Amino acid sequence: MSLAQNPLSVEVTLPREDVALVTVEGHLDLDTATDLQAHLANQLHHGRRHFLLDLSAVPFMDSSGMNIILRVYQEARGLPGSVHVIAPTPAVRRVLDLTGVSLTVPISEKVDEALELVDRQQLSDGPQD
Amino acid sequence: MSIPAQPTEPGEGRDLPVPAGEQPGPVEGVSPPEPEGAATPSPVGRLAATVDRLRREVLEAQAEADGRALVELAKGILVERLGCGPSEAAQQLSVLAGQSGLSPLEFAVDVINQAAKDRVSEVTQAFLAAVGKPEDPAEQSAAVRLRAAESGALAAAHDTQAVADSLLQHALGPLGAVAVAIWAAGSDGSLTLAGSAGFSPGEAERWRYVPPDVATVARSGLTEGATLWIESLALTGLPTIGRHLHPDGGRAAVPAGSAGRVDGILEIAWPAPLDRQPPQVVRQVEALADLCAHTLQAYAHVRGPDQEPLVLPDTAELMDLTDGLHDPALVLVPHVDAAGKLVDFRIQHVNDRFLDPAGRPRAVVNGALLLEAYPMAAGGGDLFQRIERVHATGEPFRARRMSLTALVGEVPLAAVADLSISRHGSCVLLIWRIEDESARLASLLQNAQRLGRIGGFEEDLLTGETTWNGQLFTLYGRPESSPPVPLEDLAAHTHPDDAVVVGRLLRTLLHGRRPASAAFRLQRPDGVTRHMRIVAEPVLDTDERLVAVRGAYQDISSQHWTEVALAATRDQLAQSEQHASERSRLALQLQHAIMPPTRAPLEAPGLQVAVRYRPAEEEHLVGGDWYDAVVLPSRLVMLCVGDVAGHGIEAATSMVVLRNALRGLAVTGAGPGQLLSWLNIVAHHLTGSITATAVCGLYDPSRHTLRWARAGHLPPVLVRDAQATPLPLLKGMLLGAVPETVYEEEEVQLAADDTLLMYTDGLIERRDRSVEESLTQLLVQARTVPPTLDQQLDRLLTYSRSDTDDDTCIVGIRLR
Repeated sequence: MSLAQNPLSVEVTLPREDVALVTVEGHLDLDTATDLQAHLANQLHHGRRHFLLDLSAVPFMDSSGMNIILRVYQEARGLPGSVHVIAPTPAVRRVLDLTGVSLTVPISEKVDEALELVDRQQLSDGPQD
Repeated sequence: MSIPAQPTEPGEGRDLPVPAGEQPGPVEGVSPPEPEGAATPSPVGRLAATVDRLRREVLEAQAEADGRALVELAKGILVERLGCGPSEAAQQLSVLAGQSGLSPLEFAVDVINQAAKDRVSEVTQAFLAAVGKPEDPAEQSAAVRLRAAESGALAAAHDTQAVADSLLQHALGPLGAVAVAIWAAGSDGSLTLAGSAGFSPGEAERWRYVPPDVATVARSGLTEGATLWIESLALTGLPTIGRHLHPDGGRAAVPAGSAGRVDGILEIAWPAPLDRQPPQVVRQVEALADLCAHTLQAYAHVRGPDQEPLVLPDTAELMDLTDGLHDPALVLVPHVDAAGKLVDFRIQHVNDRFLDPAGRPRAVVNGALLLEAYPMAAGGGDLFQRIERVHATGEPFRARRMSLTALVGEVPLAAVADLSISRHGSCVLLIWRIEDESARLASLLQNAQRLGRIGGFEEDLLTGETTWNGQLFTLYGRPESSPPVPLEDLAAHTHPDDAVVVGRLLRTLLHGRRPASAAFRLQRPDGVTRHMRIVAEPVLDTDERLVAVRGAYQDISSQHWTEVALAATRDQLAQSEQHASERSRLALQLQHAIMPPTRAPLEAPGLQVAVRYRPAEEEHLVGGDWYDAVVLPSRLVMLCVGDVAGHGIEAATSMVVLRNALRGLAVTGAGPGQLLSWLNIVAHHLTGSITATAVCGLYDPSRHTLRWARAGHLPPVLVRDAQATPLPLLKGMLLGAVPETVYEEEEVQLAADDTLLMYTDGLIERRDRSVEESLTQLLVQARTVPPTLDQQLDRLLTYSRSDTDDDTCIVGIRLR
């Protein structure tokens, strides 16, 4: 029902070998969250460490969507890696702020911005490897 | 299995063969076989001899017992003739035996022969005269043997097999015969092996039934109508039981019957070709056949211990006939006692139309003795006497409107029926047609009584007699010895308010002559009040006169509890049918146990606290919302709402952990920010990596301040002067997402009549709107301030615009 009305579209590109840019379009809620989770799990499986989630085309996100972001965040943190949210709509931004997720998951307005953060992190993480 | 008989030694002809298959002994192949011709008998041989000896001892013991029976019989005759006591008679018997030079047994037989003057005594005397010395080395004369055989036969009137054994042992063995078979003749000409001796069990089993028109030795005897003597089986070529044992042996087939009716055949086997027998032997054999006829007549209703009922074919035909009748019919066979006296009839068969007047299942009546099943048959109606007479004379009995009485429970139930009694062969056919539906009603009554603690009654209005069954005395709490309470006096035993009901019942029943029922409170003599229902109906005779009232009382006091128990069982069933639903219910119960949907307002100085919890409507969506409001030892009031992500039992159990953890942590006196950061550690280490949101505040009653922090949860809403505003969005990560985090803290100063609301997103969540919009909607609602805090929370729940069916918690505080 909700799936038919608000189908979720997920596209994955690889700006770097270990960076997955995941572009999501549609409502991210209880009905669609597992869809996104499947894509993210697949990328994790293929060795991506950094996840850039472009949510500019997500008008609504509930706690299910947010839990997916938190889950991939927890997975990536241990690699080590990172999760970035790019260009969230105000409603989604509000949820991220409300739940405090924005305190942990950096929010960028552009993909380049996020990639820069990734590079910076890799530099600081590098010597530890 | 075929068990060949062992060759018998001369003079041991009456000994039963030892079945080879039963010989115990060393298992073949275990011990080496004894060399042939060894002087010592083989172990097998020794064991066989032991078995043989033991068997002989058993037979001797039996013979002795039979002999004792004869001595007892003779003693009885002496008691009667001499008018003396039993001990005197015993003494007399031994004295007289000594005087006449006979053994006590022989003398006893003489006494019996004298007294009986029957065919056996005639035959024995003739036999003794002709044969002279008996061949039997035992000290038994032919007369003793015949009487012993007769005694055995009579004692075993129902057991044709035992009769066969007795005949062979006592009477025919001494004549050189080795085996005997007693055939029961069917009306269709078939033969059924009713008993045999001297043949192996396997052979007897093979010959248990000979269909009509199959030519056998016994069948030839049947068609002949007179004793058939066969010199040697080999010469006739007729098949028969045990033929292979002694293919050249002689046979005799003697018709057994009385009054021109042949009941069966006595077949006797000799091991060797038979010479022409002297007339004495012929007559002796015929006398034995008479004995057989006696038992064959009673044979029809004899059942083997674990066999199909053995039934003479004529009975079977009658049973078929009754099944075609449109009225209830019973096939009765005479039941005789050990002395051959008719004592009762066995109900051999009841047809499909048969309905027990007492309402018992057909199978209970089938096979029972008539007087046991219907004790009242012997009473007033003369039914039993009629049947007995028809059986004796063969003259059929027909009657219209005969009164029959059956016991329902212990209440005699009268019915009027048309009767037909007739004799068919050895059986009696009883047909009745009951005029009204009494039988059917009785059946209903009987079943109802059994099922529902029902007491039955009948009142004869002509005699004024009231009859109760035992159950009714129990229901009334009265001893069975006390007089029953007639219906007229019922009102005196009921609650005064029920007098009208009882009065109406009596009027319908006695005046209106219609069935009636009523419910009332029975006041028992022991002071107990029971709820009763009475159902009663009038009984009218053919002239439409009211002659009786019958009915039943039922104690319905326990019915209510039965229904409750039933409902509980149904609930359990539904739960176990769906495990998922059970778990959801459990989650809900957990929620309810910890947080009742509403609770008495918590009182703190100058502060009103109220809480609301509304579980999701769909049970599987019930989840992890919680609230808490508790006064801490520091006099601070801790307020909290939280929401564990997910639904069902896992979310609910996590909720319990977090809620209790927070309560425990709060006792340390730490501030809300610190409490949440500890709670975050708890959540992070919970199995299943759960996340949760929460808002936590500590109210200080002395300063009217609320210090609060939030963990990913919606901030509280402050309602002041009809204006609702959310508190600022303090920094605070939701619980469980990261191992460690800190929470921003803020203090808000509250004034009199201020209301502060904490809530979970079930209150505002909508799919089509942002959190912002929903919150605005809530703020508009919250602006309306009803007089009490409870009303305010109820109003918020009622007018919530939420469209997701989620749990909802609200905690509200209002300053006084």
